[in-house]
Formats: sequence, structure tokens, C-alpha cells
Amino acid sequence: MTELALVDVLALSAVLLGVGLFGILTRRNFILLLIAIEVAMNAAILNFVAFAAFGGTPAAVSGQAIAVVLVGLAATEVAVGLAIVLALNRLRGSINVAEAVQLRL
Amino acid sequence: MSGLDALLPYAFVVPLLPAIAFVVIGLAGTRLKALEWGGWIAVACAGAAMVLGVLIAVAEMLGPGQYVDRSFVWFQLPAGSSSIFPQGFALVMGTLVDPLSALMLIVVTVVGFLVLLYSIGYMHHDRGLPRYYAELSLFLTSMIGLVLADNLLEFFLFWELVGVCSYFLIGFYYERPAAASAAKEAFLVTRIGDVLFLLGIFLYFAAYALVGPGGGWAASGFKFTNGDQPFLGALVGQAQSPMLTIAGLMMLAGAAGKSAQFPLDVWLPDAMEGPTTVSALIHAATMVAAGVYLLAVVAVFIGFTPDDQLAIVAIGGFTTFYAATMAVVHTDIKRVIAYSTVSQLGYMVLAVGAGFAMVGLYHLFTHAFFKALLFLAAGSVIHAVGTQEMFRMGGLGRTMRVTSVAFLIGGIALSGILPIGGFWSKDDVLAVVVNAAGSHPLYWPFAILAFGAVFLTAYYIFRAWFLTFSGDRPRDATLPAAHEGPWVMQVPLVVLSGLAIGGALLVFVPSFASLLHVPAGGGGVPPVFSTADALVSAVSVGLGVAGFGLAYVLWGNGRVFALPASSPAQGVRTVLLRRYYVKDAFDAVGLRGMYGLSRAADFVDRFVLDGAVRGMERLFAATSDRLRRLQSGVVSDYAAYVVTGLVGLLLLVLFIGPYLVGAIGGG
Amino acid sequence: MSPEDLVFLGVAGVAVVTALLALLVRELVHTIMWVAIFFVDLAIIYFLLEAPFLGVLQLGVYAGAVTILLFFGVMVTRKRIFSREAATGIGPYPLGLALLAIVLVATAGSSIPGGDLPIRSIAPATLSTTLFGVDGGWLLLLGLTMMSALAGAIYLVREGRDE
Repeated sequence: MTELALVDVLALSAVLLGVGLFGILTRRNFILLLIAIEVAMNAAILNFVAFAAFGGTPAAVSGQAIAVVLVGLAATEVAVGLAIVLALNRLRGSINVAEAVQLRL
Repeated sequence: MSGLDALLPYAFVVPLLPAIAFVVIGLAGTRLKALEWGGWIAVACAGAAMVLGVLIAVAEMLGPGQYVDRSFVWFQLPAGSSSIFPQGFALVMGTLVDPLSALMLIVVTVVGFLVLLYSIGYMHHDRGLPRYYAELSLFLTSMIGLVLADNLLEFFLFWELVGVCSYFLIGFYYERPAAASAAKEAFLVTRIGDVLFLLGIFLYFAAYALVGPGGGWAASGFKFTNGDQPFLGALVGQAQSPMLTIAGLMMLAGAAGKSAQFPLDVWLPDAMEGPTTVSALIHAATMVAAGVYLLAVVAVFIGFTPDDQLAIVAIGGFTTFYAATMAVVHTDIKRVIAYSTVSQLGYMVLAVGAGFAMVGLYHLFTHAFFKALLFLAAGSVIHAVGTQEMFRMGGLGRTMRVTSVAFLIGGIALSGILPIGGFWSKDDVLAVVVNAAGSHPLYWPFAILAFGAVFLTAYYIFRAWFLTFSGDRPRDATLPAAHEGPWVMQVPLVVLSGLAIGGALLVFVPSFASLLHVPAGGGGVPPVFSTADALVSAVSVGLGVAGFGLAYVLWGNGRVFALPASSPAQGVRTVLLRRYYVKDAFDAVGLRGMYGLSRAADFVDRFVLDGAVRGMERLFAATSDRLRRLQSGVVSDYAAYVVTGLVGLLLLVLFIGPYLVGAIGGG
Repeated sequence: MSPEDLVFLGVAGVAVVTALLALLVRELVHTIMWVAIFFVDLAIIYFLLEAPFLGVLQLGVYAGAVTILLFFGVMVTRKRIFSREAATGIGPYPLGLALLAIVLVATAGSSIPGGDLPIRSIAPATLSTTLFGVDGGWLLLLGLTMMSALAGAIYLVREGRDE
């Protein structure tokens, strides 16, 4: 590679997604869960930005626009997630998701 | 006499008269205590029916052997509307007065009236009398209807009705398990015959539906006659085909059921659980005669193939002897007479099978009178001493003269000893069978059996007479003092005695004899009384006297003949008492066979069918039990499921996608 | 390898490492630190990709607000925190690896259109035109979502919930 190519950024996005997924699937602490979700979301946003950058057509700017929206959305989601953490904490006294299994059959 | 001929179209009134009694007694019987609980009404209607019936029969006798058919179409399918009966189909109710039905009409109405009159006295102390008189009246209606039926379907209708009435009347004492069981047995055994009878009717339909004038047999409503001829005209007795033979055998089966021929005879002796009057009317004179009447009607108006005739002769001849053998050992007076009925019916069937239907009916005519006489006399005895066991009786002749003489007359008539009753008719039967055997050598064994039965008949009936009436005093000292019954019981006995003696002699009256000539087109013209058969008569009388002699030796004057316990004849006796184990055979097949089938069906139902249902239930329960573990409530697990789905989708898109795009987008 | 490439490689490596560290360290406060570094690192990437507006946005929203939010969350629930739990479950490693492998294969193996085009710089002006123009709908949706999220969050945390 002589230059930075789209593939490289996409590869990074993929790796980050994997990391985030790993965190979602294994971590029992609600806060860590939220962090993992954030990592994954950022990977997705990075993807959009990458395509916007290497787009080639003027319409590719939509990628950035969507990325902006997504950033806002992700932040919102963290906020709500934290609200849930607080409520759960008050209810159960712990933020271990493995204990919050009232919905099991 | 043309005056009486005017009555002929009104034959349908005859069955209606007892029907009126049935309705009235059925509805209001319990309020009629003064009229013997409806008994006198029944007697009155039966008497009116008798008068009208006899007059109609006389009109038929005096006329030239005509057929008078009066009918009413109550349902009709026009031609072309049905593919099974292309020429149309009709259901008809009507009456046909012809020599056969005239003969039967006399029998049924006269005996019916006398039995009803007798019942007034005999049943006086019983309970449930309105039911009794209503059912008897219904029976009379049905029997007269059967006799006067002018088409095959109407015949079957009344046939079934008669069977139902028999069921009711046998089970009159329904609180006794034996009686209820006997009623069921009678109905079910005759049912076997009835089903086959119905199949036979269908076969005849199949064969003859389109034959005959005016669009065919089906379109006319399956009537027996058309004008002066049998409806099927020249076909009667001429057609030959396996289907017709089978149809004829079905008819024989139906007749065997109703007339208690082997092997469907098991119900008749057990039917003695009903009142003696019922036995006299239904199981001696009339209903059981319906089977013979059926055979006669088929013989005259439709025709039997030669194979059928052999079968009929075989069954009739065999039954005659078979039943007589059983009658010689039984101790219940009614049962002896019942077996005698079966045996005599065998004679009638034998005659019809030999091709001489009218001779068979002639024997039926005489038999009705002396059999009813025997039953009513036995009833008189039972009414007096309260038991049916002959070995407890004895010496009753001293105190019950009328009954004793009546029974004696009946016995002589039954045995066919000169010059009364059965002599004329039974000898005619024997004569025609011998005659027919000349051209059909296969008939010989059955003719010989019939002769053997003559000897046995005389023996068993006189054994019964001696056991009951001769001697000085009853063997069982605890028996109440015997005396004659009231006048309502004695009058029928006297009248029937007269009829037993003289009824047969009517054959010498030319107009009566004309009844016994089957009109042109029928199944063979029988000789009524041929002097050329004197040899047969001599043999038969000789056998009868021999039987009487043996009975006198063993049982006369109050003697009791006891078979030594070591005698080999004891084995024979046991077999006879057990009725050749025929009933046990029925039980084995019917009961155990059905029971086995039921158990198999139950197994299938409970383990296979229910098992399948429960298996499915358990399958679902187990599956759902496993599946619910997926909902663990743990978020990480759910996330894992999401990822799994995602991976799957990706794989799908990456590897299958290009092919799909090629297939859909393509080109 | 051009200098651009090397820089990018380094930044990318930092991103991955900090993300992993954030999820694996013991002490939750340390996680927050690593998370912050991760977000900043991403912002650098955005700048590298000639998306300045987005880079600034990332810094402001993520490295700023979200980090603080997470920090508050950690602090409030501090007393009863399980900082380490043994990982159980239905085998996330294979799944994650699988996903990873697939995506890598897909991106590396196939030819992506425009894959060898140079980076284009997009002026913020163009971005804003699009954002409030063609893609305006998304912005509206975002706004609505945020409002309902606010309502929801308030409901969830308010005192007096009797559970």
C-alpha cells in the first residue's frame, strides 16, 4: 500500500466491532456493557465516515451527515442506559446483569 | 256369491279393527278396569276382524280363485328420475286377497279371537294387562297386515312389526331376567334372518326391477300380482341364475329365522317365558307361520330355483327330525309343545321346498288349530296347578276333564292319526315329498327324516299327555287341587277342539279345496288328496300308533320310566337336553367372538389412538420444556443470539446472495 | 508505506488496544480513562479522514459528554460494584472471531468501488447543507428520539418510584 485505502479503515472498523462484541457477550457489569456498546457503535460510525471520505461522488457527503446523527444518537443511548443502570441499582443493589433475570421463563 | 265379493275391496278394514283396539287400550287402558283392563275391547275388535276376515275368505273361496288387489300409492318417483330404477319407483300400501292370503286370514283371525277370549280368564290375575291387550292387538294388526300385503316391501314392513310385537310379548314379564333375555334372544336371532331377508329382497330388485308390465316391477311398487297373474308373469319359477339362487336362499334364511328352523331355532323354546296365550297365538299358530307364508308367497309369485328348493327341503326335513328328538326328553310341558311347533314347521317348509306351497299352507292351517289347542290346554293346566314341570303333575285327568280331552284331541291331531286334523295335512306333506323325491333323489334322506319324526311326534306328545293327565294323583303332593278354568277359558278349548277335528275336513268342501289350487301361472298345482298315496298314509299312521304304544308302555297309567344311570342312552339324553349345544355354539361365536373383537377395539382405542394423542401431547411438552431454556433472562445470552443471527445473515448474503441476484436480477 | 499509512496504522493500533484495555482492566475508574483515550483517538482518525466537523463533534460529544456520563454512572453505583465477573455464556469468543474473520475477508478480498481513490476533503459548509437539506429527515428523527429519551430517562431515575 502506498496510500491509505478504504480497506484499511474498514478493517479497523471490523476489529473494533469485534472488540465491542466481545465485551457485550462477556461482561457482566452493566457499565462495562455500555462501554462495549459504545465501542461497537463507534466502529459503525467510523464505517460511515470512511465511505464518505473515499466516496468518490458528491453524494458521499451523506455518510458524514448520517455519522453526525449517529453520534447524537449514541450519546442519547448512553444517557438512557445510565438511567436504567441507576434504576436497576436502586432496585437490586447491584449492577450485575446476570442477576437481573426476572424475564426468564 | 257375488254379494260377498263386494267385501273384497274392503279387506283393508280387517287389520284396522285390532288397530283401533290397540290405540284405545294403549291410551286409556289403565282406566278400563271394568272391561278387564281393555281385554273385552280387544276381544270385540278381534271378533269383528274375525267375522269380516272369514267372510272375505269365503268370498274368495266362492269366487274363481281370483286376485283382488286394492292399493294406494303413497310415494312415487317418475320414470327417468332415478338411475337405479330408470322406469320409476313406487311405494305402495295395499291389500291383496288371493287364495294364500285367504287361507291365512282365516287362521289368523279365528285363532287370534279365541286366544284373546281365553286370555280374559287366563291373565286375570296378572299385572300390566292394558299393555298385554294393547300389544296383542297390535300384533293381530301386524299379522293380518302381513297376510294381506300386496307388495314385497309392505310385506317386509309388517314382518318387522310382527317381530317387534313378539319381542314385547315374550318379554311381558320383563321383571324376570329370563324373560327379558328370551325376548332379546328372539329378536336378535330373528334379526339375523331378517337381515338376510332384506338382502334377498335387494337381490330380487336387482334381478327384476325392470321386468313386467307397465314400466317394470319397481314402477308398480313391487307388487305380487298384476290382474290375474303374478306380476312377474311367465318368469315365475323359470328363471335360473346364481343370483336368484342366492336370493332364494336369503328368503329361506328369513323364513328360518321367523319359523325357527335350524340353525335359527334357538329362540323358540326360550320364548316360552312369555305368557302361555302368547305362545299359543304367536309361537304356534301365526307369527312362526309367517316364515312359511313367505316361502309360499315367493314360490307362487316369484319362484325358486331348483337349488333353492333342495336347500329348503333339506332345512325343513332336518329341522323336523332334529326338533322332534329334543322334544322327547324335556320335562317342561310348554317346551315340549314348542319343539313340536318347530318340528311341524319343518314339515311345512319341506312341502314348500318340494314345490307344493299350498300343501304346506294346508298343514299350516290345520296345525294352527291343534297347536293352539295344545297350548291353551297346557295353559289351563298351568293356570290350575301353577307349575310347568310335567314330572310334578299326574292324574289331572280326573279333575280337569275338558282340558284332558282337549289335549288328547290335540295330540291325536298332531300325531296324524286317523281321522282328524293332522292326518290329512301331514300325510299330504309326506305324500308330496315322496312324490317329489321320485324325480329328485336327493330328497330321499329328508323324506326319511320326516317319517322318523312322525314316530317321535306321536311318542313325545302322548308321553306329555300321560305324564300330565293319567294316573291317580299328582306325583308332587304339594300341588294345589286342580280344577277347570272359567268359561272364557273353556270355550276356546272346545271350539279349537272342534276345529282341530273338523278343520282339515274342510278340504272336502269344493270351494275350500279351490283355495288350495294355485291359480294359473303359480308354482305348480298340488294334488290335495290323492288316494294313490294310501301307502304313505298307512306307513305314517302305523308310525303314529307305534309312537303312541311306546309312550303308553313307558308312561301310561302314571308310570314313570327312569333311564338307568349307567345306560349309554344317558349320553344321548344329555345331548338332547342341551339342545345339541347349538345355543352354546352361538354363545361361543357371538359372545366370545364379539368380546374378543371388543377387547381388540378397546386396545386400539386406548393405546393406539389415545396413545397417539398423548404421545403428541408429551412431545409438545418436552419440546417446549427444552426450548424454554433459551429464555434464560441473561442479557448476554440474548446478545449472543443476536450475533448468531447476524452471522447467519451475513453468510447468507455473502455466499448465497450472488446466486439470488443472478436468478432474480439477472439477464 | 507512505507516512500517511504509518500514522494511520499507529492510531488504529492505539484504538484497538485502548478499547480492549477498557474492557479488561480491574478497576472501573481506569476503564473510564481508557475509554476517554479511545474516543480521542477516534477523533484523530476522523481528522485524518478529512472530516474535521465530525472530528470536533466526536471530541465534544464523546470524549466530553459521554465520558463524563460514564464517570458519573461509575461513581453513583460505586459502593456495590462488582468489578470483575467470570465470563460465562454461550461462547462469545468464537462468535466474535467469526464475525471478525468474515468482515475481514469480505473487505479485503472483494474489490470495493472507489477503494483506491484518494481521500476527499469535505468542507463543513457542504456538510451542513446536506444535513439540513437532503438528510434533514434524519436530523429531525434524532431530535425526536432525544426528546423521548430525555423523558424516559427522567422517568426512570426519579425518586419516589416505589419498587
